[in-house]
Amino acid sequence: MRLPLARGFALAPLLALGTGVVALVAFPLAVTNPYALHVMILLFLTVIQGESWNVLGGYTGQYSVGHAAYFGLGAYVTLMLLQFRQVPPWWGVWIAILLAVAVAIVIGSITFRLRGPYFVLASIAVAEIFRLIALNWTGFTNGAEGILLNEIPPLRIGGRTITDFVSKVPFYYAGLALAATTIAVNWGVQHSKLGYYFQAIREDQDAAHSLGISLPVYKNIALAISAFFTAWSGAFYGLYVGFIDPGTVLPVEVSVQFVLICIIGGIGTIAGPMVGALVLVPLSEALRANLLSDLLFKIGIVSEDTPTGAFLKDNLAHAHALIYGILVVLVILFMPDGVLGFAKKLFSGRRRQTPALPEVSSEKGSA
Amino acid sequence: MAGPILEIRNVSKFFGGLAANADVSFSMEEGMIMGLIGPNGAGKTTLFNCITGFYPPSRGDVLFRGQRINGLTPDRVCKLGMARTWQKVRPLAKMTVLDNVMVGALARTNSLSVAAELAMQQLRQVRMDHRADHLAGGLPIGERKRLEVARVLATQPQLLLLDEVMGGLNATESEEIIQLILDIKKRRITQMVIEHDMKAIMRISDRIVVLNSGEKLAEGLPGEIVSNKEVVTAYLGEAFE
Repeated sequence: MRLPLARGFALAPLLALGTGVVALVAFPLAVTNPYALHVMILLFLTVIQGESWNVLGGYTGQYSVGHAAYFGLGAYVTLMLLQFRQVPPWWGVWIAILLAVAVAIVIGSITFRLRGPYFVLASIAVAEIFRLIALNWTGFTNGAEGILLNEIPPLRIGGRTITDFVSKVPFYYAGLALAATTIAVNWGVQHSKLGYYFQAIREDQDAAHSLGISLPVYKNIALAISAFFTAWSGAFYGLYVGFIDPGTVLPVEVSVQFVLICIIGGIGTIAGPMVGALVLVPLSEALRANLLSDLLFKIGIVSEDTPTGAFLKDNLAHAHALIYGILVVLVILFMPDGVLGFAKKLFSGRRRQTPALPEVSSEKGSA
Repeated sequence: MAGPILEIRNVSKFFGGLAANADVSFSMEEGMIMGLIGPNGAGKTTLFNCITGFYPPSRGDVLFRGQRINGLTPDRVCKLGMARTWQKVRPLAKMTVLDNVMVGALARTNSLSVAAELAMQQLRQVRMDHRADHLAGGLPIGERKRLEVARVLATQPQLLLLDEVMGGLNATESEEIIQLILDIKKRRITQMVIEHDMKAIMRISDRIVVLNSGEKLAEGLPGEIVSNKEVVTAYLGEAFE
């Protein structure tokens, strides 16, 4: 964390940021391929997820593996209100978010008494409770059948009415706006008293406590911010995909996904979840769409006609979870600070190599 | 301001059947340095924990400026103006030295720029301003101890509890800490100091409390304590004859 803030405003990064924003805003005008838009929307969704988890897990160091609870709440409440009560989602989303935040504070008040692995276990258990409720309270949630969205009512913004929710463009812009908002909120947290207090709690809870930081209050603030955007991402997912069931929005896999985005990219930084999303989304899409076996055939490592080739073609796509898992393990093993931290170390290591040498030798001499 | 700044009344702390503190009472006047000594396991750190809210005392009362504070959480105690350091230093390792001290300063302000200014002042006081941009996790032990003091001073305490800030330091570093403690005294900040270095504690303390097996064994001026037979026995054992 650097201070004062004014020092951070160099021209080059601002220009890069501006160009990036313009490119992202203009993207759907230039590219109409629905799959490309789909991947971009998934990217935005993943960024929102990662940045929301980052507030609690990254800055505050509370490794929740139960964010599926808030994700699922956001998705379920929004879609239930829309499907069963005809509440338009632009209102339903807010109800869902407020409910998720309220639930988060209740859960936080109980589970934040626990530290380290015990907190992690409690967070998993809480998410499982929500999954089981959604699964078994069939009269209320439709149970395992899930909720299929019929139609999103038209939205009026200013003088324009948006009705075309079959197209991906409205979701693209909504996702972009949400992702930008979560990034901005992370930036705001990092550059405020909250950020300092969150990180102090992450580094040493007892020291933080003795320095006047109320642990339950600040942990709950972090969780509330995190749950707010997590529920938001859940509602966005539900409305975009148009179908939710306990197996897609509430399982442990979803909770793990939140953590992975940050671990892969780099924990406790704003860019980390973005890098994580840029790694994970294309990777899982490539594996899912069988691009990997196509690549192997094209390079000529394996011929498509051989039995091995046929086997790979049939099974590699199914094994995407396995390959994904192995890659994640490799990243965790060899890049403990995430891809971003690894890249930083690589660069600073190269730059410092020459001046660092005499320093090391003098240290040896004195020891 | 009349009356003691801190009063400890019959404080006991039990862990299961073990009395880590038993019926300890004493009080401190504003501006003084109270030395707290005793063999290992005498209950010095437990008493710190009882005073600063990390443990609720099992029995007895802790009064800060006449207000009963046992049962308050450590953050509330800190806000009231009482702050402690840790025997085993607790730097916020992945934050810079300046950020560490700013976390302390933020107890009194919501503005980052004000906090940064206060923090730099404290760092200059412990002569660590040249380290402001370093990560706290990479400091050598002597500087970690001084950082700990700077950080706790940034919370602007009226009463400071120092838990073995000279532990593990060499003679020069210890001397620096002694000067620092005397400087703090000049600023009218009351201090309670746990220390094993007898020479140092006799030099800086106005009064000394000796704990042994959780009980208060003696209290008095440094001169009285060194000549107290019970204290000598507790430290060195019975004379062999």
